[in-house]
Amino acid sequence: MTSTHVPDQRTRHEHLIEIYRKVVTVRFAELRIRGHVEAEGFGGFWHPGIGQEGLQVGAIAAMQPADYLYYAHRGLGYAYAKGMDLTALFGDLLGRAVGSTGGKGGGTVHFASAEHGVLGQGGTLGSNFVLGAGTALASQLLGDGRVTVVFFGDGAAARGTWHEAAIQASVWKLPVVWVCENNGWALSARFEDQSPTPNVADRAPAYGMPGVIVDGQDAMAVMDVTAQAIDRARRGEGPTLIEAKTLRIRGHYEGDRQPYRQDQVQGDEIPNDPVHRLGEHIAVEERRAIDAEARRTVEEAFDAALAAPRPDRSVIFEDVWA
Amino acid sequence: MTTTQAPPATDRVTSYSRAINEALAEEMRRDERVFMMGQDIGTLGGVFGLTRGLQEEFGPVRVRDTAINETFIVGGAAGAALGGTIPVVELQFADFLFTAADEVFHKLAKWRYMHGGQFTMPVVVRLPSGVVGGAGAEHSQSLETIAMHVPGLKVAVPATPADAKGLLKSAIRDPNPVLFFEHKGLYRIKGPVPESSDVLVPFGSARVARSGTNLTVVATGLMLGRALEAAEQLAPRGIDMEVIDPRTLVPLDIDTIVASVEKTHRLMVVHEASRTAGFGAEIATQVQERAFFSLDAPVWRVCGTDTPLPQDPDLEQACIPSTDDIVTAALALAAV
Ligand SMILES: Cc1ncc(C[n+]2csc(CCOP(=O)(O)OP(=O)(O)O)c2C)c(N)n1
Ligand SMILES: [Mg+2]
Repeated sequence: MTSTHVPDQRTRHEHLIEIYRKVVTVRFAELRIRGHVEAEGFGGFWHPGIGQEGLQVGAIAAMQPADYLYYAHRGLGYAYAKGMDLTALFGDLLGRAVGSTGGKGGGTVHFASAEHGVLGQGGTLGSNFVLGAGTALASQLLGDGRVTVVFFGDGAAARGTWHEAAIQASVWKLPVVWVCENNGWALSARFEDQSPTPNVADRAPAYGMPGVIVDGQDAMAVMDVTAQAIDRARRGEGPTLIEAKTLRIRGHYEGDRQPYRQDQVQGDEIPNDPVHRLGEHIAVEERRAIDAEARRTVEEAFDAALAAPRPDRSVIFEDVWA
Repeated sequence: MTTTQAPPATDRVTSYSRAINEALAEEMRRDERVFMMGQDIGTLGGVFGLTRGLQEEFGPVRVRDTAINETFIVGGAAGAALGGTIPVVELQFADFLFTAADEVFHKLAKWRYMHGGQFTMPVVVRLPSGVVGGAGAEHSQSLETIAMHVPGLKVAVPATPADAKGLLKSAIRDPNPVLFFEHKGLYRIKGPVPESSDVLVPFGSARVARSGTNLTVVATGLMLGRALEAAEQLAPRGIDMEVIDPRTLVPLDIDTIVASVEKTHRLMVVHEASRTAGFGAEIATQVQERAFFSLDAPVWRVCGTDTPLPQDPDLEQACIPSTDDIVTAALALAAV
């Protein structure tokens, strides 16, 4: 993989630094949210994305600002990587008026930012497949040159909507890129037990599209394959299915004791940690400075969200109709 | 708000399906962002011929034949709306709302709400609805009440060619998702339709299809014609029925219905859909809340049976209100 596919003129090392900064920021955000859930909880479920930040940030680093994103429920790395403000994201989690949804949130919610092309997520797994294909269709019709990236889990890959969207996207050569985060689990279901193929990407040829497997702990590799897929999509050659191999470090939701799981990750050790893999390439001093800055950014944003008011109950009746 | 029945002088007579076709063509000419997709709508022109000629005029990019993938047709429309277009999609039969239920009732209805009002969802889903003669239990239902029960969806139920055209044009211009129930049994009926491409029928405005003094009948779709026939049969027998077509169920123009009940003091709701928890129940409830002391008799419903629809065309007709059923019920209610 060469750097020819990176989306702008920055050097590969500059990209790595930027990706590291975002990944480590998301890591601190993950830890801060976990601390909050353990201390006092909130109304809703938090699906931690810790350990999967590298692939989320890496894939999104290959997108242009105007490209569209449909993210999955595993953390907030996607939305942050696409440019959304951390206070707004925390505000959504904590059900504060400063949230991007204006306080309708609580737990893993529907972050959105029209400005950043963050179009949201469906609470029913697999809804993003058909919506993503449709948004890519709009780009094709309008000729706006945008690509849509859709994230989903290995479990969601079983939904029928995948089949319906993949067929149409491939037939029409829609500018959409599917990114599967295969973390080995769908709640209590092991991927091996529910998949007829060893990999999700193995299914791609049936839909006439390339399937690419990448090490999801290697953020730069994920950026590279995503950049290639996005280029292909933008050239009008149609969709690509990327499968990033990763690992679910925590329970399905924070607090899930995982009685179904024998391979529980103990303590804070993250196998093949994307933070370390990126960090190895950065001088110690520089890395420490980035870490300190990231920690401060997260603390300030979280405090700001915590201090923000709850929404007025009148929001219940807002935004039902345009 | 109420419009009168008398057609303006510029109207000409055309069919319900032609009126729908004209609305689609006019709106596609007016706004380049409008496009259509669905099964067999392009080269064939739709299984009911509704989209005939449109692919010729607008090309296969804007009038798109899809695979058999209802979740994509509706969910893809939702996504395409988020991407800045105005999709008008067709499900071959309204019954396939259930096939695309997640996309209809979750994505179309709630996306804007869930995401803090940042997006609009200007999608129209065209839904050939109702009994048509032997189409069977999964191709004949009237599902408008189900649509009405989920907040976030507008619901149109046109009964005349003019309303089909005017409501569809309003639907396409509406920033909210609209479920547009076209009655399959009405596709061939003819009626006056305004010549001008600027005539819209607003949502939430019932039409008094016949004014009368003794008894108000609310009816939609295929039932409107039967209610009007019943009214003509009853007139010589001293029952002067007022017939109201709400035209849209969301929003519902309950004011026009209440005003009528305050005049006639009796109300009957006629619908093709199954009786239990149909829109008749909702209208009856709202009327007794607002006009209980105007009522001289209970509100009655004349409705489809609480059964699936049999495939046999005769049995099927026996499951939905006939003109005779409406006459019989009206005579009985007038005597209460
Ligand atoms: C249609 C649907 N079915 C079930 C659920 C409940 N659910 C939420 S997340 C989840 C597991 C998803 O697994 P996967 O797609 O692999 O994502 P992961 O949680 O591993 O990131 C389940 C069963 C849902 N939200 N939607
Ligand atoms: Mg999984």
